[in-house]
Amino acid sequence: MSRDSNSLITELVGGLKPVRPLRLSGGLSFALAGLGVTLAAVALLFGFRADVLAGNFDPVFLLATGLFFLLGLAASATVIVMSRPHVGSDHSGWRWAAAMAALLPIAAIITGLKRGPAAMSAAGAGHGLDCLIAGSALGLLVAAALVWWLRRGAPTSPERAGLLTGIAAGSFGIFAFSFHCQYNDIVHIGLWHGLAVAVSAGLGRLFVPRLIRW
Amino acid sequence: MKSDEPSLARLMAMAQQGDRLAYHTLLMECRVWLKRYFARRVAPNHLEDLVQETLLALHRKLATYDPSRAFLPWLAAIARYRWVDQLRRVYRTSEIELEDEFIGSSDEPAIVARISLERLFAQLPSAQAQAIELVKIEGLSVAEASRACGQSESLIKVNIHRGLKKLTAMIERA
Repeated sequence: MSRDSNSLITELVGGLKPVRPLRLSGGLSFALAGLGVTLAAVALLFGFRADVLAGNFDPVFLLATGLFFLLGLAASATVIVMSRPHVGSDHSGWRWAAAMAALLPIAAIITGLKRGPAAMSAAGAGHGLDCLIAGSALGLLVAAALVWWLRRGAPTSPERAGLLTGIAAGSFGIFAFSFHCQYNDIVHIGLWHGLAVAVSAGLGRLFVPRLIRW
Repeated sequence: MKSDEPSLARLMAMAQQGDRLAYHTLLMECRVWLKRYFARRVAPNHLEDLVQETLLALHRKLATYDPSRAFLPWLAAIARYRWVDQLRRVYRTSEIELEDEFIGSSDEPAIVARISLERLFAQLPSAQAQAIELVKIEGLSVAEASRACGQSESLIKVNIHRGLKKLTAMIERA
């Protein structure tokens, strides 16, 4: 860049158009709309669990889906806040939600160790793989919404924004798929559903930063 | 117009609504502020480029400013991001003296001190800060920097890499 800064300023002023400031509520509504469409896709493509449709909720299902929803919400909110840079901002609140959700795989490991090899049967692993793939794939819409929002914004840490986009997408994806998955077993939910979030987080950290640099 | 925080915030809010006169005043004030902001941590021959890049980023990211919050921390975050980005680009300059006219205004308001590059840079471990300062700011080669500070050449490279990564992660930290 070698032009005179006066001419640059004149050029920028000439190109000024009114803008609407990015709002947290706008970004969050957008992400939640993505989640709504994802839930509708689960209902149409796979169908909801019979017990959920009947209004009978298993406690493990309630706790797990609740934790994944809150983690997705916390990560989404952080991503949206990160799109508006500000020295002095703290973007670490999502870690508490992540720590709470991490109780699921921890509980799964403890329970699995007590049960022994029977906890990880071949059939169970097959179903688990279905949840892992579906949960990760279903997060794509939320991921796309958040990436689009971040591209409008100015995230100063693209790597962290990418990681959080992945966590939000994976959490909402597996939250939505939980309405189809028949398993209430803590080992299945903790390991395979938790793995869907971890895989999405890794993919987000790997691929999102290059899409949102500015 | 005095470039104090409330005035700048007001000008920015007006600029977001399309007021060109306010935007022109804002950009002129920002140019002065940015030159002072970067002066201690950028080689003089790169200062103008960096200021212009930051003004351009400000223009492109106008919608990311929240009118209910302070303006300078927003501008500083954008400036820090552009500064770290410039540090990433390897360059060598023969001109290593920093311009005295911009250095050391001791009557900086507290808010400016909190969002300064000095404060960000001070959070790096000394070996990383030294490696970045010698190679990326003063423009020495890796070999010259190694001789100057006693770190091996490979350690200089590792410290630059780790330091820049850390700076990126800390851009919004006050």
